[in-house]
Parts: sequence; structure tokens; C-alpha cells
Amino acid sequence: MDTQDLMRSARFRKEREADWQRLETLVRKAEGRGLQHMEFAETRDLASLYRQATTSLAIAREISLDKALLGYLEALTARAYLCVYAPQERLGGLLERFLKEGAPRAMRRSWFYILLGFLCMGLGALTGYLLYFENNDWFYVMMPAELAGGRGPDATTESLRSVIYGDDQASGLGAFATYLFSHNTRIAIFVFGLGVFACAPAILLTFYNGLSLGAFLALHVDRGLGLDLAGWLSIHGVTEISAICIACGGGLQLGTAVLFPGNRSRSVALREAGRDAVKLAIVAAIMLVAAALLEGFGRQLVQDLEARLIIGWGIGALWLSWFLLGGRSRR
Amino acid sequence: MRVRFWKRVKPDRPSPSTLVPPEGVPLTLPIAGVGVRFAAQLTDIVLTAIAAICVLILLGLLDLTSPQTLVAIGALLFFLIRVPYYVMSELAWNGQTIGKRLMKIKVVSHDGGPLTARALVLRNLMKEAEIFLPGTLLLTLDSATPLASLAAFAWVTMALMIPLFNRYRRRLGDMMAGTHVIHLPVPVLLKDLASETVPIGTTRKKFVFLSHQLDHYGAFELQTLESLLRGQNTPSGAEAARQRNATLEAIVEKIRKKIGYAAPVPPVDRLPFLQAFYNAQREHLEQRQLFGDKRENKHYAQSGEER
Repeated sequence: MDTQDLMRSARFRKEREADWQRLETLVRKAEGRGLQHMEFAETRDLASLYRQATTSLAIAREISLDKALLGYLEALTARAYLCVYAPQERLGGLLERFLKEGAPRAMRRSWFYILLGFLCMGLGALTGYLLYFENNDWFYVMMPAELAGGRGPDATTESLRSVIYGDDQASGLGAFATYLFSHNTRIAIFVFGLGVFACAPAILLTFYNGLSLGAFLALHVDRGLGLDLAGWLSIHGVTEISAICIACGGGLQLGTAVLFPGNRSRSVALREAGRDAVKLAIVAAIMLVAAALLEGFGRQLVQDLEARLIIGWGIGALWLSWFLLGGRSRR
Repeated sequence: MRVRFWKRVKPDRPSPSTLVPPEGVPLTLPIAGVGVRFAAQLTDIVLTAIAAICVLILLGLLDLTSPQTLVAIGALLFFLIRVPYYVMSELAWNGQTIGKRLMKIKVVSHDGGPLTARALVLRNLMKEAEIFLPGTLLLTLDSATPLASLAAFAWVTMALMIPLFNRYRRRLGDMMAGTHVIHLPVPVLLKDLASETVPIGTTRKKFVFLSHQLDHYGAFELQTLESLLRGQNTPSGAEAARQRNATLEAIVEKIRKKIGYAAPVPPVDRLPFLQAFYNAQREHLEQRQLFGDKRENKHYAQSGEER
């Protein structure tokens, strides 16, 4: 058919069809291989053809009643928009940037929330400690039975000592898995995730965790095993309990964004708080994996009290120096 | 006036699917529903579970596990494969996992910009806290601890309900990360019906429609006719062809009666007649639209009077 015979919208389409199809192939290329791997001319054409296509769409909405054409242009421009304005981020150096700058800076920025987390844990431990000396039966209230593993006010001092210096427990991979997926990891993730709900679950869970820790400590101090337990706990506990407190800090940060959004809307406040909170969560996850490694392998291999204390607190000092010194810009 | 029990929707809010780019032409990025996202999620869970089971069997063959620790190691492997899988695949494919690719959906940033690594990590970490951990807790707990099971169940239900109560179908992690999930539109360019010619079977040269005959229908009827004509090219069996002919006859007769087209249309000319009518009607309606007379459907005259 002659072009002169065609109606206006069909002529409009015929004139631009080739450009749209070229845009379509470019969009597929960009989605498949990424913008970085395309030639300069192709990316330049992609941007300009996308702008032409949006103009075509605006015109077509006014002059054309061809449903197929409108649907095609809608889909094409939407796909092209995503290619032009929401391209793939560069992934190189992501991990390095996080470890060197992102994580320590986020930790320093949210020092107040982390302090609150440590405070929750510390107050819990103090309460548990004092309550135990008031009445031994509190131990059963505060300590989950499966975690105590038979240790309690009824146990003999000898049996308590044998747990601390015994090597009859399962070691190696199985132990690593059970420890990592044990109580504390779950607590850490819940403390972080539940923080959104107005902080209360995060504070309660951390406090409760502190309570059982304090009662446990008090039991051993009561039997004169305080220092030995400190060694037993330190080797992984310094890392692990700090991880829980940091996770709690992240949760509190999210919770305060919900409670006190200020002039922003709650979802915007949440999004801004999430920026640092997610880094705290990743730091806590890294620390928990390290703690599980120490607990699964290190605790059985190192039986000496002093060595345990040195390893535990030494690693704690390493964490602290990472948070304090990492990512500072040179003047 | 009708009684409304539901809060009146604000009329000036744009549809959640539209996005206005810097070019100023509103684009449509349809929001993905809960069902399709659930299907994508299920695919991903099955994939990661298979991977975890494979590694577990391998460990078993290498004698690295014992029956006592099997469940703990299995859960750990599932966790260790799942978390990086979601984050890495969404990073590598710009907001798509394998399940999302199969369902043709994609994560986009809420403000229309690029997806940051932080947003993707956050939305997938929150997925753990929202669904998976309470879910595993729910599966591992028994009737001995009803309170914890109940709490986990309430938590999972609530997390699953949140997307139903906002316009963008965002779950908690999406809100924090500032993302939402869309259907990836598929551009398919069909032929332009107006530029196609259907040979007329009889001796007649051309169907001619007068202006007043084209005033009966609007854009909706035109586009319905367009869908019908596009469907005519697909091959079919004898029974289906007979039915199709019957439909065509009914439609042609209906149109003839409505527009007052006196001359009869022989059976071989039914398709050319509809094609010619489509062309004429489209040209007419597009012209009216250019002059500011937009006709949505055949009731355009009544709706115009009401206003």
C-alpha cells in the first residue's frame, strides 16, 4: 500500500518503527551484558533513542488508537528507562570498601545505640548476678534448661570444673554447626529484626540474655570457679556477646526510627536508619561466625586458663581497633 | 449518594504503577502482586534447598557428618547457601534471582534510580528476620512450647500480611531498603492492521463508510475489534473454523444493523468488510480525538451530557 493512503497514526508508526526496533535490540544487549561492556556508540544511541521513544509514546497516546502499538511502546520505554536510569552498579571493590570504610564508619556513627545494647546486656547480667545470690532458685527461672546442660545449683563443683576443662564434647565441624546455630545466633538475628517493633523486643531479649549470663556467672563464682569460667567464656564470649550487643544496637536504631521519625515520614526514617543498621548486622554476622570458629575448634584445643583469657580478650581488642581506627581519612 | 464504608481514595494520587522520568512522560511499571512473588520465592527456596541437600550428601559420603549433627549441619548449610544466593544473584542480575527471572519480575529502587548494594543486602537480610527464621522456629518447635510457636506463627502471618496493606506491595525489608518489585514488561511489536490489505473476494472494489455511520462506536469497541482481527490469523481445526465463521457472521450482521449499512455482505467478504470497517472507524476516531473529542466507548454521547 502506498504511504499516502495510510492514515496518520500508521504513517507515524512507519516512520519511527526502525528506531524502536534498534532501541529494542540495544535494550536487550544492555540487559544481557551490562552497560559497561557496550561500545560507546551503542550506549550513546541507547540514551538518545530512549528519549525519542518517550516522545513517541507521548504522541502515540494522543493520536493513536492502535492497542498493539501503545502496548509495545509502553513496554519498550519502561524497559529502556530501567537500562538508562537504573543500570547495574559496579561490584568491584564492594567488599573491600565495606571492610575498610563502610563498616568502621557505621560503627562509629552509631556508637550511642551500640552503647545502649551493651548497657542492656550489662544491666541484665548484673541483675542476674545479684538475684542468684539472693535466691539460688532464680537460676532455673533465668536459664533455659537445654542451654544449662545439667549445670545448676544442684551440680557438684567437680562436675562444673570438668565441663570447663573437659574435652569430651563433640569437636570439629559438627560442633561448629551446632554452636553457630545455637541459641546466640538466633538471639542476635531476632534482636536485630525485631528491633523494628519499637525497640521493646530487642531490649527485652538482650536483657534476658544478660540475665542468664549473670546467673551462670554467679553460680560459678559461688563455687570459687569464677576465674576459670571467665576463661572458658572469654575465648569466644568476648566476640559473641559483643556481636549480640551490636545486633541489638542495629535493632534499636531501626526501632528509634519508627518511634521518633522527626519531621520525616516513618518509612523514610526507617530507610535512612537502615543504612547503618544493615552494616551493623553484617558486622555482627561476621563476629558470630568468628565466635563459632573459636568455640568449635579453639576451646577444645586451648586448655590453659591464661591462654584462653589472652586469646579471647586479644581478639576483642582486635575488633575494637578495627572499629576505632578503620576508615579514618588521612589529614 | 452511595454509602462508603471504606476511606475514600484520594483522587489526586497517581497510580502506583506510573513513574514520571525526567523526560516528563509518565511510564508504566506494573507492580508485581503477592502471588507471583510467592511463586518466585518458592522456586528460589527449592533451588537453594536442593543445593544444600547435595552438599549434605557429599559431606555424608566423605564421612564428615554424624547422624546427631545432621540436622544442625543441614540447617546451617541451607542458611549459608541461601543468604549469599539471594544477595549475590540480585547484585549480579540487577535485582533478579533465578525465580524472579522465571516469573519475569524485578526489584527496582523506589525512587527510580539504580539499585545500591546496601539496599539489596538489607532487603534480603530482612527476609531472614521476617520469614525464614521464624519459619524454621515454627517448624522445629513442638506442642511442648505453645507460646513460642504461637508467637512465631503470629510473626510470620503479620510479615506476610504487610504487603497486602500498602499500594506498592512492599514487605518490611522493601520499605527499609527503599525498593519495590515490578513486572518486567515484554515489548512485542505486532503488525499494524491498518497497513495490511485483505483482498476482496467478489467483484466489488471497496467498502465505503459514511461519516454518520462511524459515529456509533468508541475506542473500546475499536480495540475489541482489533483483538478479534488479530486472532483470525491463527490456524485452527475444522470445527473451530466453523465456529469462527459463525462468530464473524454474527458480528458483521450486528455492525451492519447498528450503523445502517444496507448492502449485504457475502460470506467470503466478511473479513475484508471488518478490516475495512476497522480502518475507517480508526481513522475517524483518531481524527475526532485530534479535535479534542475523545470517545472512550459507545456511550460517549451520554457521558458527555452528564458532565
